[in-house]
Parts: sequence; structure tokens; C-alpha cells
Amino acid sequence: MMKVMGLCNLHSSKELGPLTASRPLASTSFLGRYALMDFALSNFANSGIDQVGILIENNLRSILKHLGSANVFNSNTKLGFQQIMYNEKLATSNLYNHDLNNIRANDWLILGAKPDLFVVAPPDILYAIDFRPIIQKHIANKEQLTLIYTSISNAKTNFIDEDLVHIEHNRLVSLEANRGLIDQADVSMDTYLISKELMSIMLATAPSVSASYGIKDMIRHFLVQGQRYAVYKHLDYVRAFYGLESYYNYSMEFLNYEHRKHLFKEDWPIYTVSHNTAPARYGSKAIVKNSIISNGAHVKGTVINSIISRNVFIEEGAIVKNSIVFTDSKILNHTVIDRLIVDKYAHIERKSNLDEHPGILYIKQGDRL
Amino acid sequence: MVAMLLAGGKGTRLETLTRKIAKPAVSFGAKYRIIDFPLSNCANSGIDTVGVLTQYESIVLNTYIGNGEKWGLNGIHSFTATLPPRQTEEGASWYRGTADAIYQNLDFLDTIKPGYVLILSGDHIYRMNYQMMLDAHKKSGADLTVAVINVSLKEASRFGVMNTREDLTVYGFEEKPKQPKSTLASMGIYIFTYKELRQALIQDAKNTNSEHDFGKDIIPTMLEKQKKIVAYPFDGYWRDVGTIQSYWEANMDLLEDGQAQSLLQNDSLKIFTEDTRSLPQYVGDHALIKDSLVNQGAIIFGTVEHSIIFHDVVIEEGAIVKDSVIMPGAIVKKDVILERTVVAPQFKVEKHVKGNQDIVLVNK
Repeated sequence: MMKVMGLCNLHSSKELGPLTASRPLASTSFLGRYALMDFALSNFANSGIDQVGILIENNLRSILKHLGSANVFNSNTKLGFQQIMYNEKLATSNLYNHDLNNIRANDWLILGAKPDLFVVAPPDILYAIDFRPIIQKHIANKEQLTLIYTSISNAKTNFIDEDLVHIEHNRLVSLEANRGLIDQADVSMDTYLISKELMSIMLATAPSVSASYGIKDMIRHFLVQGQRYAVYKHLDYVRAFYGLESYYNYSMEFLNYEHRKHLFKEDWPIYTVSHNTAPARYGSKAIVKNSIISNGAHVKGTVINSIISRNVFIEEGAIVKNSIVFTDSKILNHTVIDRLIVDKYAHIERKSNLDEHPGILYIKQGDRL
Repeated sequence: MVAMLLAGGKGTRLETLTRKIAKPAVSFGAKYRIIDFPLSNCANSGIDTVGVLTQYESIVLNTYIGNGEKWGLNGIHSFTATLPPRQTEEGASWYRGTADAIYQNLDFLDTIKPGYVLILSGDHIYRMNYQMMLDAHKKSGADLTVAVINVSLKEASRFGVMNTREDLTVYGFEEKPKQPKSTLASMGIYIFTYKELRQALIQDAKNTNSEHDFGKDIIPTMLEKQKKIVAYPFDGYWRDVGTIQSYWEANMDLLEDGQAQSLLQNDSLKIFTEDTRSLPQYVGDHALIKDSLVNQGAIIFGTVEHSIIFHDVVIEEGAIVKDSVIMPGAIVKKDVILERTVVAPQFKVEKHVKGNQDIVLVNK
């Protein structure tokens, strides 16, 4: 039987502006209930990939806090694992802290688990994919690498800095960073199936090509040398996060009830770490419209077109519109907020014009306003 | 101290809610199951070993309890064992009463050698730190400590009533007395010094006239034998959800400002439960929700007032739900009006139902 190891690759993750100042995108809260990396980890779990390494670039603490000691992503809690892979020595080096060096620093995991195939997926590109049929095809055709990509018609503003994919005769010919010059494009989902042979070649040869080369650089390098690889086109929902605005927009899309079926499919549960919070409580004057409300929330005021996370308190008289409020924050005292992203533990009680600003306004973790 | 949780009862008066599951496994309070309350209390009281005695329709209950992981009772010093009746060299027998259930598991207790045994009921809603009760038990030097709650004289005739002296020692016990002499009702929570419990159960097992019940047999016999029984007063919220009416009332209590609300507080007596992996709760554009508790996974398009909405419930557009408890996975169809009802799990409601004085259970 083919042994498959999942690698959730935080090295290739984009940033979400101030939201990722002190946490990685991977553990950033999404829809009041999930961390963004839960979707990649659930894709692995639902595809029967029980052995997973999480390649962490930085802000280790936040990932550890989210994962805790829970076995929520494993089907067998003894055989399966989510192993933190972190390159302690090179963590502070911009140049050398890349995925291949991380894998090398944690090679004991691979030597022990002996996978035949790696599935590498990023935390910042959201989709629901069953990897099993893609793995089967990869094995049947004895591929070294299969790249998963999609086609989009708005590449001038989407998948920026991800890769444009050039395909000839159904083989991957080149990867080139998307600088937003054209709209209609095939774009890489930064998701790869990599055979153990190719992975060892990458690990062995990368240092002699460039010490700063990671997985994607090496794939490009091999393509330039004339290698051609398999591709798989994903035709369903996919979103590439890039900056605060994308986070806001991709969150708000889920306020359209029909939209949720793109990511939350039948027989495709999304696993996450649970916090045993009480059900949401609504007061006698509460007004809530078109919103997502998490457990532990206490709504006594008004919430319209918003996403309310765990243990958030909305006081009577307060109005929350078009906003995302993170865990443990409080909106108090007749304040009106509009188009805000309120990070954790913030209290808004004094500032009264938080609905008069252009674009999205971000409120820092723990701020008092 | 070891806890033994009696969870084998059928709960007949909950009607069809307990047709295929035991009463302790019945859902309660938008998110929980009844047994979450005593099991979370055990966890929060620092109890590490819990035996759960199951009998009636035990599949759901046994599966739910598992290894106690949902309440953290699976740590290095802790474990949870489900103890259904079993076949032994002497033959096989159902649990014939609450005392017999513990008697049949004396071998389990003997292997653990506890100093004290806490006997609990799997079908009460309350939060309590049993460690404080154990401290009182040790301090008084009692053979048995019984938790009691002060009820009205009228209510007292529904309970087992403890007649106590000023120092709370018990001199008499009456099961459902017509004319109660005291208002201290037994909560069915007992701490026994283990050797006293062991002795009492062995003697009771030999008694062919006994119903093998703690209230009816064990306590009266211990009183006869001048054993020291002390009442332990509890002044928090406590409900026995024995009937559809009381089940509904206890759910509604959670919506009032008062003692019941503290049941769901995020503090040192927090109630733990399973994670149902439900999707985020969604409230639609024309929805109206007031005075309610709504769990994750619920989808609300209609109106919900003063109600308890469990996970994965759908309230369709135009539907109005008032003073009701809608259990997991139930669907209230478009324009349906429900008032003073309890809707059973997974049931699809297509017609108006209005309870009057009596709450209506809506089921297949």
C-alpha cells in the first residue's frame, strides 16, 4: 500500500496585513469557528491522509495554541499524527528558512514514517478536494510530480504572487509569478503531489543549486532543465488569500447562504479544535440579520451582515454592521461599527464614529476604543 | 473518591424522547446531553475515576461516554468505565435497583479500593463541586452524607425527605411523604465511606424483601443500625427532568436571568460536551431571534422567540417558534407556527402545533 504523508506548508503562505502581524495566516480565525489551516488539514483527513507534518515558518506559539494536544484531525490517534515541523536554527533567517531546509531539519519524521508520496498543501488557498483520485492517477502514471491548478478570469486582482501555470500537451511546462497583467489565466493552487524520489532529489540537489531554494524554486529549476510534470485541474471553489481585504471579502461571501456549500460539502466535515463554549445567547432586544454567530456569543444589540466569533458580547444599543468581530471582544455602550475587523480581546465603548471611514478598518488585539 | 453514576433508567415519563435512548443521553440546553452535567461536575471536582452504570437502551449512551475523553476523564490518573450488567459465574442478572447496580459492581470498586464512593444520578441538571461535599463528609465523620435541597412543603411530597436535627444529622427518612415533616429533599447524591457502603450492600443483597433501592432500603436500614447520616445542603439550581413538562421548564429556565443561567457559565464549573462538528450558525436576512439560546449548526430564516434551538436545526422562512425546545437536526418548515412545544430530534414539522397548559411533544 502506498504511504502518503501530508505536508501543510506554512512557508508558502501569504500575509493578511495587520491580522498576521503576530500570528501566521494558518492560525488566523475564519468564520468565527475555524483557523484557516483547518481546511487544508481537513482535506488531508477526509482524503484518508492520517500522517501530516505542519511546516511552520514562524510564530510557532500561535500554531501550537490552536492545535493544542488535540487529535481532532486523526482517524487513528495512535497511527496518525500532526507533527509540528519547525526549523529552530534557521527560523530567523529570511534567506534560509524555507520548506526544504525545514524538511531536512526534521528528516527524522520522514525516515520514521517512510512515505512513498507527499501531498503538499498551503494554508492560504482555500478549497475542498478529495486527493484520493488524484493520488491514484499519479501512481498509475508513475508521476514524479502532479500540480493542482485552477482557471480564473480575474487574475489581475486574484492569485497575485501565486504562479501562472503554463501547460502544453497536458504537461506542466513552466511556472511564473502572477503580476496581475492578464485576467484569464491558469493559476497554481500551490498544491503538489511529490514522489519520495523527487523529494530526495530536491533535498539532495537544492544546496548545490541555491541554498535559499525551497520546493517551488526547485520545481521551477527542474522545469527550466526540461522536466515536464503532470497537472490536475480543479474546477470548484477556490480562494487565494492575499492581504486584509481578501480576508474580509472571502469571509463576507459566506453570509450568502448559498455560498457555504462550496466549502462545506456533504460528507466533507471540517474539523477544528473545539472550546466547549455554551450556545449563543440572544437578548430580548436583539436584532440579528444575515450573520454568522458563534457559540459563546451574547447578543443584546444589533448585528447585521457580520461574523461574530466565540464569546463576543454585543451590548444592548450597540450596532455592528458589515464587520468581523474576533473571539472575546466586546462592543459596548451604543457604539456603532461598520466595516471593521475587530481582533481578539478588544473593547469598543467610547469611540462613536467607527462607521465613518473608507474601506476596512482593523482594530488591534486587546485595544480599548 | 470514586464516582458511580446511575444511568440505567428508562425515564418512561419522557415519552418517546427515550424510545431508543436512555434518559441521561437525552439532549438538553441547546448543546448538551443530560449526563454532561454530572460528568462535568465530576471532572470539575477533581474526581478521576467514574463508573457509569448503564442498562436501558445503552448503545447511544455507552458510545457517548466512550473513554470519558469529552469531560477530560481519560488522563493519566483518570478513567471512565461504562458498567452494564454482565454474565458471571453465578449467572446473569439485570440491575434490580439502584443499590443492586452498585452491589453487582463491588468487584470493580474493590480493585480501586476507594476511601469514599460518590453515588450520582445520571438525569439531574445542576452544577456542584463534590469535593466540598466530601470535605463536609470527612469533617462530620459521617458514614453517609446525602445532598439535600430546600423545597416548599408542598413540593416535598414528591421527593425523598430527610428529617434532620439542628446539626444536620439525619434521624428519619421518608420517601414521598403525604405530610412531610421537613423540606429537605434528597437530590440522589450520596457520599459513602466505602467500607460502610460495601457492608450495607452485601447485607441488602441477602434481603429477599428488599427492592435494592438506596432511598427505600439502604438509607432506612442504615438509620435503623444507628449509622451516622448527615445532610449536605445545596442552594444552587437543581432539577430532575423527569417529565416532558419539567424537561421543557428546565430548558426555559436557561433563558431567565437567575440561577439556571449560571449553568452555562464559563468558569471553574464549566459544563463539557461533545463537539458535533456542526457548521457555523447562520441567521438569515429576514430572521428574528429574541430571548433564546441557539447552538452552532442552526440555520435560522424564520422567527425564534424565547426558545432553545439545538445544533443542525433549520427554522425555515416564515416559521414562528415560540416558547419551544427544538432538538438536534429537527426542521421547522416554512410558515409553520410552534408554541409551547418540544420537537424531537431529526423531526420535520410541517403543521402548526400549539401547546396550552401542557407542553406538546412533537414526534413521529
